[in-house]
Amino acid sequence: MFAKRLLMASVLALSVLGSTAIHAQDKLKIGIINPFSGSLALYGDQLARGYEIAAEEQNAHGGVLGKQIELIRGDAGTPQQAIAAVQRLQDAGVSAFIGTYISAVSNAASDAAAQYDKIYWDTNALAQDLTDRGLPNFIRSGPSAGLFGEVATKAVVELVAPALAKSPKQIRVWIEHEDSIYGTSIADRERQLLTQAGVQVVGVGSHAARAIDLTDSVLRAKGATPDVWLSTSYQPDGTLLLRTMRDQGFKPPAIVMIGAGDSPDALQALGADGLSGLLIVTYPAAEQNQAYGPGGHEFLETYRKKYGRDPLVPHPLTAYVGAKMLFETIAAAGGTGPAAVRAAAAKLNHPVGTYANGFGAKFDANFQNTLALPTVVQWQSGKLLTVYPVQASLPGTKITDLPRK
Amino acid sequence: MDTFLNILVAGLLLGGIYSLVSIGLNLVFGVLRVVNFAHGAVVMVALYVTYFFYAVFGLDPYIAVVLVVPIMFVFGMGIYWFILRPLQDEPMMQTFATFGLLIVLQNTVLAITRGEPHSMNTELSRLVFSIGPLNVSAVRALSLVVATIIAGGLAAALRYTLTGKAIRGLIQDRPVGVLMGINVRQMYTLCVGMSAALAGVAAALLAPIYSLSPGLGDDFILPAFAVVVLGGLGSTMGAYFGGLLVGIIEALAGFYIDPTLKQAIWFLVFIAVLILRPSGLMGRLGAEEVGLRGNA
Repeated sequence: MFAKRLLMASVLALSVLGSTAIHAQDKLKIGIINPFSGSLALYGDQLARGYEIAAEEQNAHGGVLGKQIELIRGDAGTPQQAIAAVQRLQDAGVSAFIGTYISAVSNAASDAAAQYDKIYWDTNALAQDLTDRGLPNFIRSGPSAGLFGEVATKAVVELVAPALAKSPKQIRVWIEHEDSIYGTSIADRERQLLTQAGVQVVGVGSHAARAIDLTDSVLRAKGATPDVWLSTSYQPDGTLLLRTMRDQGFKPPAIVMIGAGDSPDALQALGADGLSGLLIVTYPAAEQNQAYGPGGHEFLETYRKKYGRDPLVPHPLTAYVGAKMLFETIAAAGGTGPAAVRAAAAKLNHPVGTYANGFGAKFDANFQNTLALPTVVQWQSGKLLTVYPVQASLPGTKITDLPRK
Repeated sequence: MDTFLNILVAGLLLGGIYSLVSIGLNLVFGVLRVVNFAHGAVVMVALYVTYFFYAVFGLDPYIAVVLVVPIMFVFGMGIYWFILRPLQDEPMMQTFATFGLLIVLQNTVLAITRGEPHSMNTELSRLVFSIGPLNVSAVRALSLVVATIIAGGLAAALRYTLTGKAIRGLIQDRPVGVLMGINVRQMYTLCVGMSAALAGVAAALLAPIYSLSPGLGDDFILPAFAVVVLGGLGSTMGAYFGGLLVGIIEALAGFYIDPTLKQAIWFLVFIAVLILRPSGLMGRLGAEEVGLRGNA
């Protein structure tokens, strides 16, 4: 009797285990590397929301390779945490990694993922070195620091100079940047490209993103009397710089920012008048022209329905597009092995305007998407409007309030 | 010369902010002999309480301060009763506990706010006095004035009131203080409550300057520790003048040398002062050994 019960229990246990195994095989687990705790969690959460919407859409259409996608979050705000998060997600059985917006975290996490021979798909980190180092499992679907620098240079040469009625050679630019690899790599590229374009770079200043006070940085720039103050920062130091500029009476004719100035917090801090005319080089916004970014509005509606509010920053749309691109590439590769995924990515050739944020897909030899182009937005009457490229602008949108009052 | 004056004033105003945050830290440091890692997080909590009154009731931070200060006082008393008091015989554990509290506070605020930054834009926050070549932000100037009043007032209260004398007695020799009938728990509760209340004052003054985020307190805590040690452990006026000194050095170094190096430069000064005068600029000789015989 006992033997019979034991046999039945064993059969039952094996059947449960078997169904779990089959169930697990039906899932394609992807690990999200982002900060979800600590002071940097806001953007991590925003990016993860973009990935989640992309996964839900993909699952509604049958998933990838016949499997439903399951996203598992790994909390990483520092390189050390990134390595631990990759280890934990590896133990959880993920097949690929996706992340993040912190370059140092991306660097460490992708290194750790390489040790497990897993693909690391980056959507929002910018440092140039991430692709330049030639890591065999790394692909970046979003823009690099170099692309941000290129668009910032175009903003100065093609938007600001005509608005100030000057030639590029008459324009004086001060480059301000936060001092990590993110800010430094963009500033280096900007200086190189602006100099090539004949623009006068009258000074370069750097600051710590977590500095309590930035009056020194502002006074240094003010002393150089630039026409354009071109800044790369995170949101908190960017807002503090703008407040300090206001307090110190530093009013350059044009301000171009990267990484800050486009959040609701900036509007709270400085008001519509304080931001009017400010140009920001940023990830494409969902509200841009739908002919340029088909599906952007649908993404926005889905986001609102799912989370009950608008995205706080434009980053989730780029994360969403990056995740869609990853799923498309895995499907084309027929698996998640780094070599196969890279081979499939190398074959992608979609023109600008293909994806919901206006990105195209064409990877270079370092697996940097060369058609992931940032856009330029401008604060006009308390609203952010896309002004560059022209195809991304809504009809009738023009640059205003330059020189700034 | 104009530029020099401008940067000097900027440094002085920054020093006011450092002093404001450091005085409360120094009080707990001096009396309880606890390195309170959570002090920056307490300032952050006070900032969010201030923002709550601003966003929900439309209260200007300078009006909300009359509500924030008593709330934070009670909050501080709670920290003592529920965290520090049970560990009073384990000084090292108390310090670790404050570190734990820092993480708890930071992540609790993160869970509630999801890390979304907030700013308070008031009429006063936009007010700038232009005196010749100098531009002086009204909110920063007010921070310096209030820091001066608090430092002076606290030093006087510790010197001339009965409660202040009791606190100083505990600072100098706790066992003898107990024998003299000083209620230690009452005094400790009062000190931690006052420290948190001072964080509330600091929050109201800093609210119009910074974007609120759960990690904001971390940015203040490193300079605050340096200010406390530089000024003299347990010395209220030491924390005040230490804050001003650090602010001025930081501004001058940032402008004339390199903004990226400014923190490294005032830490060099910090190390030099400690080598030459281990008790800090205004601390009593030997305070660094037995902990904090401040000249409050």
